Amino acid sequence: MKGAGGHGSPVPFLLPALLIVFAVLIFPIIFSFVVSLFDWPLSAGGGSRRFIGASNYVDLVKDKEFWNSLKLQLGFIFIAIPLELVLGLAAALLLNREFQGGRVIRALILLPVFFLPVVSGMTWRFMLQPRYGALNNFLLALGAPEITWLGDPTFAYAAIIIQDIWRMWPFVFMLLYAGLAGISTDILEAAEIDGAHFSKRLFSIILPLLYPTILTALLLRIIDALRIFSEVYVMTEGGPGMATTLFSLYTHRQAFGYMKVGMASAMAIFLLVISIVFAVTLVRKNMSLEKLEERGGDR
Amino acid sequence: MKLATKRKTITMAVAFFAIAVLLVELYPIVITLLNGFRTDLVILSGQKFSLKQLTTTSYALVFKNRLLMKAMGNSIIVGIFSTALSVGVGAMAAYGISRFRFRGRNALAYSFLVFRMLPQMSLVVALYLMFRSIGLRDTIFGITLAHSSFNVPYVIWMLIPFFTAVDKSYEEAAMVDGCSRWKLFHMVFLPLVAPGLVVAAVFSFINSWNEFLYALILTGVNARTAPVAISSLIGGDTLTWGQMCAASTVMLMPVFVFTLAMQKFLIRGIAAGGVKG
Amino acid sequence: MMKSKVMLFVIVLLAVSAMAAFANGEKAPATAAAMPQRTINVLLWDDPYPKALMAMLPEFTAATNITVNIEMLQPPQVLTKTAISVTNTTTDYDVVGIDEGNVPVFASLLLPFDSWYKGTVYPKTDPKSVTPKMYSIGTWNGVQLGVPINGNLYVWMTRKDLIENPTYMSQFKAKYGYALGVPKTFKELLEMGTFFNENGIAAGFGPFNGGPAGVLSEAVFMWESYGTKFIDFTGGTFKVVLDEDKAVEGMEFYKKLMTISPKGAETMAHVERQAAFAADPKGVFSMFIWPAQIAAYEDPTKSLVAGKIAYSAPPAGPRGQAAVTGAWAIAIPKASKNQEAAAEFIYWWSSKAIADKLVQANTIPARTETLTNPAYASSKPWLPALADSMKVAASRPRFKEIGQVQDVVKKYWIMGITGAMPTRDAVRAIVKETNDILQKAGY
Repeated sequence: MKGAGGHGSPVPFLLPALLIVFAVLIFPIIFSFVVSLFDWPLSAGGGSRRFIGASNYVDLVKDKEFWNSLKLQLGFIFIAIPLELVLGLAAALLLNREFQGGRVIRALILLPVFFLPVVSGMTWRFMLQPRYGALNNFLLALGAPEITWLGDPTFAYAAIIIQDIWRMWPFVFMLLYAGLAGISTDILEAAEIDGAHFSKRLFSIILPLLYPTILTALLLRIIDALRIFSEVYVMTEGGPGMATTLFSLYTHRQAFGYMKVGMASAMAIFLLVISIVFAVTLVRKNMSLEKLEERGGDR
Repeated sequence: MKLATKRKTITMAVAFFAIAVLLVELYPIVITLLNGFRTDLVILSGQKFSLKQLTTTSYALVFKNRLLMKAMGNSIIVGIFSTALSVGVGAMAAYGISRFRFRGRNALAYSFLVFRMLPQMSLVVALYLMFRSIGLRDTIFGITLAHSSFNVPYVIWMLIPFFTAVDKSYEEAAMVDGCSRWKLFHMVFLPLVAPGLVVAAVFSFINSWNEFLYALILTGVNARTAPVAISSLIGGDTLTWGQMCAASTVMLMPVFVFTLAMQKFLIRGIAAGGVKG
Repeated sequence: MMKSKVMLFVIVLLAVSAMAAFANGEKAPATAAAMPQRTINVLLWDDPYPKALMAMLPEFTAATNITVNIEMLQPPQVLTKTAISVTNTTTDYDVVGIDEGNVPVFASLLLPFDSWYKGTVYPKTDPKSVTPKMYSIGTWNGVQLGVPINGNLYVWMTRKDLIENPTYMSQFKAKYGYALGVPKTFKELLEMGTFFNENGIAAGFGPFNGGPAGVLSEAVFMWESYGTKFIDFTGGTFKVVLDEDKAVEGMEFYKKLMTISPKGAETMAHVERQAAFAADPKGVFSMFIWPAQIAAYEDPTKSLVAGKIAYSAPPAGPRGQAAVTGAWAIAIPKASKNQEAAAEFIYWWSSKAIADKLVQANTIPARTETLTNPAYASSKPWLPALADSMKVAASRPRFKEIGQVQDVVKKYWIMGITGAMPTRDAVRAIVKETNDILQKAGY
């Protein structure tokens, strides 16, 4: 199960990426870490920048809004992404056949992924308005109760999740559809002719084969969902109250609203630690290079 | 029931279902499309749609808006440059990680992933200070580089499975012929993972196309990209709803054409790569 | 395969070049003046006022040979970019617009007005040209740092077509015993608003529940009208001086106004208010407006009520009348390397000639003589109202931690006025958390 042999050095191949990543990603992270130990007003006019050790971290741990934002962020990920997976998988299974106009339909389904996040947020904000909001009026016509969607903490939270599902499930669909297309149709047809029930085919054949694709989709979605910002900011500004202030919105508020870059940096470092834990547990278990190579070698 | 007839029925049902899903899914986009042709007054008074409302005023204003047009041009340039840079550099790194055995390669791969998770606002101040000191602020090159910061790790993670999936017999055969690693990379591997490169390119382009915060902080009048320019149409105080819709529709066109053209490669790309089992 | 790639490339190339052609379509006019070519970068907030100014720039460039690059962003973004880019030694901008509330943050980085260069083409702005109430916006600790440039403070809008409708007039008189008109007191506002709302004619009131800065304005407006200040600078430090009972009364009254407001009032920001007042067929009877936005309300392509709005100072509360200010000052960073050209630009902008033109474009310069010029009073009916409002101008507290205080006020104010929390508890929470912030900041 070995990969390629060891001759030659990987350094020339890794160097350009390392240079770029170091300059525009790792350097800012180191800078963030240093700043997180300072009282660092965003503006030079906001007072002097002084070293305060771990005070920002202490403040952060004591800040209930911080924990609230983390809870909202995780909730967002745990609700939105599984739903996106289910929708994406269902659509991929259904559309995994040739029919008239199939290609156009698949391309059209992808459109929301390209919709600018700020515009998406604004469009949803307006669709949900009472009186002139198109979606709101549509729901009313279906007999839904009259709700000020973005004015109610629960509904506003639901709304930003629905917005994200709407925008991003096609992304999952695209990945899974392609994954399915890669599974030999012989296997699928053989199972169908054998008369295996759909559920049996799904769980014993399709899902295991699709597993690595699902993991990739999951991973990419989690990375992006952790950074979600502009669409939520435009839709609710984190309100009502703090009901939709996700982690990145709270970071934004600390850095640019309160001008406390030190606190915002401490939040980033905190997130970095969470990410590392996530990577060395879940990701390593399921997606290590050796695992991928095994699969590669199996074919 | 015969299998063939059964299948036909299913396909019909699926087509109908797909169209229904599509209607729901595209509803917000259709609204945006239509509102680009309606005046702000008509949009906001919640009037029912009618053909009489259609006007091209908003589009005319959008096309006359020099700053916005320049920003869209910048967006395309930055998107292409950043995609090319990220895919090129990322493919090399993915190859280095997946086809060489060295200590810490897993750790290296995870580092790329982990660093990619941080929200941009915690990095943007440092980037700004750096760019200003080396004169990259408000330049196309600067914002391209900034976009590469999140695209390079993305590309690497996307391509690793593709590279690991390449059968090692290719490699061995080439090495027996005395190929250098570099030649091996671009003569043997790049063509084999080409579909993966297309996938990575499309995703990089989307990321760059939609990016807002770096563009806001790191650019000014010269290198500003479209998301920032459009956000000023949304406005905190004044409303130019029709123009916003028109501008978003214009923004949607190039990427839609791009995906439609790439769909063939894209689908084949993911399928041929190692993402599948 | 190859062919379609090439096609795609060509399409993209065409698109880029087309856009580039659009972008560079117009060049600045050739200058006659024998002055050295200079360029300044300017950061301003995005609303019709700077846009109107932008259209006049060629005239300035022709006279001075100074090219002006104006970058316009939404107010919170202006703050962010100014904060990041302007330091004691560096700046990306030669002229910055600063929202009055943020003057304290940037005070130490700005060139005091007294040291501004004397203009060669345009004379130095006379501070007396600005209404005294607005003048203090550009100053901090007694030093003038910027020129207040727009006369932006609460002005009241009432639907003229509603209050002049004979049927409504007689119905209202019969029920309440006095004449329908522009509401002069809170009591009248509530009663007239209730009348229109109950009869399904129009919503009674349009609240502002959007961004934190605007919500703080509403709170300060209510509290000043009920006779209490929020935060005061006394004994060399900032203190919360909010009178609990009066503050609760003010909040309770706003809560009543919320009941006669349109649906969705709890999330109404500027765009939603504009939609409700100007685009909804029923509309809203009466509400405040930032004059900077009047242009949009009086634009017939955007508004159903253009020409149908009566402007006045805000109605008076039981213990006071207040018009909250929300103006911008323009200033020159100490680190600017083009201070002469920057000053020249500001002098031009604040000159009488430009102020007159800006008034024509339905925007609001800060120059008193322009605002009170009787020649404009009939065609621009908001100008006299603005002058009235200025007599009762009130400002929000200003200090560096205002961002945090705004968030606290917004959170509890909205909970209070929507009934999610008893108003007294909301006021107490505001006082307590604001005190915590002040204490932590060392006041």
